[in-house]
Amino acid sequence: MRDKMLLRRCTVSLLSFTLFAAANADSFENTAVVRTIELGGSLVHVTTTFAVKALEAGSSVYTVALGDVEKQKTSWLEAKVKGQAKALAVLDRGADSTNGVHLLDITLPQTLGLNATINIVLDSVQTHVTYPWPERASQQEEQALKYEAGLFVLSPYHTAVQRTKIRSTSPSIHSYTTPKALEDFTLDATVTKTGATITYGPYNNIAPSANEGFISKHQQPVVVHYNYEYPVAEVPKLKRTAEISHWGANLNIQDEIHLRNAGPALKGHFSRLEHQTQAFYKRSSPHVIPGITLHLPAGIQNTYYYDLIGNVSTSRLRVAPSVPKNAQTNQYSVLELKPRYPIMGGWNYSFTLGWDAPLADSASWDKTTGKYIVQIPVLTPIPAAVVNEAEITIILPEGATNVEFATPFPPVSSSMSTHTTFLDTTGRPAITLHFKDLTEKHAQPIYVSYNVPLSAHLKKPVAVAVAFFSVFAFALVTRRLDLRIHKK
Amino acid sequence: MPTAFPLPSDLSPATVSNTASLLRIVALSLISGAAIASRLFAVINFESIIHEFDPWFNYRATRVLAAKGFYEFWNWFDPTAWYPLGRVVGGTVYPGLMATSGVIYSFLHALNLPVDIRNICVMLAPGFSALTAWATYMFTKEMKDESAGLLAAAFIGIVPGYISRSVAGSYDNEAIAIFLLMFTFYCWIKALKLGSALFGTLAAVFYFYMVAAWGGYVFITNMIPLHGLVLILMGRYTSRLYVAYSSWYVIGTLSSMQVPFVGFQPVSTSEHMAALGVFGLLQIVAFTQLVRSHVSSKQFQDLLFVFAVTTGILGGVAFVGLTYTGSIAPWTGRFYSLWDTGYAKKHIPIIASVSEHQPTAWPSFFMDLQFLIFLFPAGVILCFHQLRDEHVFVIIYAVMASYFAGVMVRLMLTLTPVVCVASAVAFSSLLDTYVDAAEPEHAEESSEAAAPSASKKAKKAAAQAAAPDTGSTLTDIAAAATPTKKGEKPKTKAIYGLDTRLAIIMNAFGMLAFFVFHCTWATSNAYSSPSVVLASTNADGSQHIIDDFREAYYWLRQNTPETAVVMSWWDYGYQIAGMADRPTLVDNNTWNNTHIATVGKAMSSSEEVAYPILRKHDVDYVLVIFGGLLGYSGDDINKFLWMVRIAQGVWPEEIQEPNYFTPQGEYRVDDMASPAMKNSLMYKMSYYRFSELFGGGAATDRVRNQQVPKVGPTLDYLDEAYTTENWIVRIYEVRKEDLLGRDLKSANAFALGKKRKRSKPVSRRRAIV
Repeated sequence: MRDKMLLRRCTVSLLSFTLFAAANADSFENTAVVRTIELGGSLVHVTTTFAVKALEAGSSVYTVALGDVEKQKTSWLEAKVKGQAKALAVLDRGADSTNGVHLLDITLPQTLGLNATINIVLDSVQTHVTYPWPERASQQEEQALKYEAGLFVLSPYHTAVQRTKIRSTSPSIHSYTTPKALEDFTLDATVTKTGATITYGPYNNIAPSANEGFISKHQQPVVVHYNYEYPVAEVPKLKRTAEISHWGANLNIQDEIHLRNAGPALKGHFSRLEHQTQAFYKRSSPHVIPGITLHLPAGIQNTYYYDLIGNVSTSRLRVAPSVPKNAQTNQYSVLELKPRYPIMGGWNYSFTLGWDAPLADSASWDKTTGKYIVQIPVLTPIPAAVVNEAEITIILPEGATNVEFATPFPPVSSSMSTHTTFLDTTGRPAITLHFKDLTEKHAQPIYVSYNVPLSAHLKKPVAVAVAFFSVFAFALVTRRLDLRIHKK
Repeated sequence: MPTAFPLPSDLSPATVSNTASLLRIVALSLISGAAIASRLFAVINFESIIHEFDPWFNYRATRVLAAKGFYEFWNWFDPTAWYPLGRVVGGTVYPGLMATSGVIYSFLHALNLPVDIRNICVMLAPGFSALTAWATYMFTKEMKDESAGLLAAAFIGIVPGYISRSVAGSYDNEAIAIFLLMFTFYCWIKALKLGSALFGTLAAVFYFYMVAAWGGYVFITNMIPLHGLVLILMGRYTSRLYVAYSSWYVIGTLSSMQVPFVGFQPVSTSEHMAALGVFGLLQIVAFTQLVRSHVSSKQFQDLLFVFAVTTGILGGVAFVGLTYTGSIAPWTGRFYSLWDTGYAKKHIPIIASVSEHQPTAWPSFFMDLQFLIFLFPAGVILCFHQLRDEHVFVIIYAVMASYFAGVMVRLMLTLTPVVCVASAVAFSSLLDTYVDAAEPEHAEESSEAAAPSASKKAKKAAAQAAAPDTGSTLTDIAAAATPTKKGEKPKTKAIYGLDTRLAIIMNAFGMLAFFVFHCTWATSNAYSSPSVVLASTNADGSQHIIDDFREAYYWLRQNTPETAVVMSWWDYGYQIAGMADRPTLVDNNTWNNTHIATVGKAMSSSEEVAYPILRKHDVDYVLVIFGGLLGYSGDDINKFLWMVRIAQGVWPEEIQEPNYFTPQGEYRVDDMASPAMKNSLMYKMSYYRFSELFGGGAATDRVRNQQVPKVGPTLDYLDEAYTTENWIVRIYEVRKEDLLGRDLKSANAFALGKKRKRSKPVSRRRAIV
């Protein structure tokens, strides 16, 4: 089933590739573009709705443009037709070196006739777009961040009307840019603020903007300086090891997580007295990470949480009963993880978290090919945090052959190696994948399929048996050998 | 022959001996299991963690050994210890413990068993305790028989005196040393009995292992020569003694000199001279024996006299001369403190400041040995019954070890094995007497006159006697069953009837049962706390872990630069190095008294005096332990007087202990505290902002049960950097010099907006109100 899906994805991308030439500036017109930016800490959600009208019959590939910086910072992106659940195929056409725009082709579910309309929703998550300002804050001070974006949503098509809404979590916004020289697009106020929302636009009648001419002339940065009441967590490095054991019917997952508070660095020093006072009056400062709550899979056992110097005893775990695979449920084991110390701005905390899960919950066996298929999530979502670098190692059973894997999104690099552990004779195949800038949205499964012949299963007991028998045989011989010089 | 209870008669000797041997193996493995299991309280109650202080260094060194290999470890220079001096670890450490773990680690990894080095270190002591039980079994077997051996093994397996040093996680030299001690002694006894060079060499090899593992090897170095000397003086010189001693001494000494930390000590220090002297004496005695066999008696007498006198004088003069010129080092201070318990307090306060170097309080003998302490003398007296060569050894060992155990708490450990051996001998003699089925032969004559029940018994016994040849002791069934014993004379002294037997045996087993309960209780309550992690109970009875030490150390590790130098009292040096991975000024390897005194001086003087010391030593952070909030009594304020004393030893004119007491001679931290106390860095760091925590209420120090002043101390040269959840560990950052060249005190005053002229009268008036 998985293979089929892979196949389909390939054909879809092939299909869109053939239609590549069809996208040009005259095929569509944007009747309205609304961009909503939900300001956050590490993650900023950007939803752009394109109301599109086809100017040519038979158009089926709609192109969106992202600025170079925007593209770099967008770590997750999904396009949908408004009101539909199914995601559309998106093909990255790569950076255009001349004009600093990045084009993405979205394949529409059906070709549009002349003047037909469709609403396309582009959902994306940006990471590393905010930075603390001021850069240092003391324990009692509040936390303020700055966010920067381009004023206009770029598009290779003509846009009739466009507006950008920037929503903050709190109405206390310190400052925002008032754009100038927009007489071409609007005569009203260029920006309005109501409560926690800042609206840029509406701007009318915008020429195709995904070109250097427009960008250099009209595009301008917009900076919002806002209060943020939640800590800004960042995971500079995540190392996940998933070990599949057929003998133990077990999937062991171990995460080595390096957590960092990316909020404003602590000004001065940490005072326990103030921390305790704040906790007592329930006014804890916004930029402290006192702990995180993680949703681990259901039915896990032997959960461990330790760091370089031993077990951390300050966490709680509520295990949900095991859920059969592919079941439509959102049962989770909830881990309230509390670090050894509250993580203040700029502080680091590294730890290891691992658990055993029943293999049956994530593996299946394909009768026709004799292959095992195991799904392993890329990561356990850490709420509102970005994972800068992730290294995922999947260790398969000893003697596994025909190893194939499919990732939900392309890795930065992947490699195969041999991992030798626990009485192995030949070692186990291991897949190592590297990813960058992962978010909660990336917590999707990697599928791995492989064969394990019976002989491979029996390798370990045979090796152990041989070792024991040779020891016994040695003892048997030495017991009967008489090495004395003076025989009695 | 009459028996008190029926004995099976149709057993072949082979069956009996095979069954006995199987039972012994089963018993020994059960004893090993019990020995290991009873040491796991700490792992089960807490976690697999290295305990206390010294083990943290051993663990750190073992990690280096496991990660980088033996040669790297051998040449390891640790620049982070004793900053800025550093420490040549390879040359100042007994590497036996680390090498053992390293070998186990490499072996398991060669088998592709990925066991964490920490778990090997944690489980090493319990594992070796099983081996100790086996070695004690072998040793006691030589003293009496297998049944005494099994008893001794069971005793040493669970006796708290040994468990106190070998619970899981207590990764210290003693963990393997007691096994080596017992096994070396066993090899020595065996060599002496057989006159075997092989066992002598084995004893030497294990002696070498012991030298590589623990400084207490000096005990063996002096015990074996003492045994040899006593045997010679008793006129028991034999060629067996000569072979055993010579092979042990020569090979043992040469190999022990291969340990870098020991080096030439075996030929150049007073502690080792006894062994050399006895070796020389043995040669002389052997030589005279040889001469005697060739020369006539009268000539021999003269020759012997002249020879003995001249060699004696020459040897004595040589020893004194060498000591005088310095070729032989005199006794060390630690050694003197064994003879004069007040010596250390007067001359080396740093040794006296360690709690395990204090003289033993008598209840701890009962705590650590329970009923064995009563059986011990009985066992020693039983050794006089036969007084073979090996019994002499046990007697000497018992006398010496009893003395040392009385002098120093720590040396209770060397007493424990001999107590177990002697008690096992006594206990097994008791059991032998009362379990033995044989009754005296003349029972029949007396039974005629006795009560009818007795005659009944006698009849029964007579019926039993009809069966051929029952044994004298249960363990000797096989031997007795053989026809060779047929003509043996029946015993004249034995016990009548079952009731006496049952009464005594029940009582004996009651003692054993109470011993087991006591051992389990003592182990779980007194000896199984890692001391890195503290435990308390919540209101609902669940366990609450107080983990402040690791909280602070981990904070240091994760949030300070890797080169940040941490100053603390030496107790925490190894832990900081092991857990926080930061350079420390002083640590538990207390080799440099002046450096420790420097830290003591910094802690006990005022900020202005301490600051230049801190800056000169590049100190970035100062760490103090403060138990006042939680009532943790092992904190730095309670240790403070030792810091003062040690500093006073080096700077007597700057630091004086009496200044830290109130005029009434009390040690106080409240309003009455002496000015020197209140101005000391230690006091300020401990109580900085402590009273604010009580929000205007009375701030009570729960350790000393005193109310600290409402207005707490202020710090000008240090900043509070981190305080743990329960305030146990407080870390202060040392400020850098003021950029404008002011002294930090006036810079601080300026920053607070105070006028340069201090408005003292105002503050005074406030204080009165």
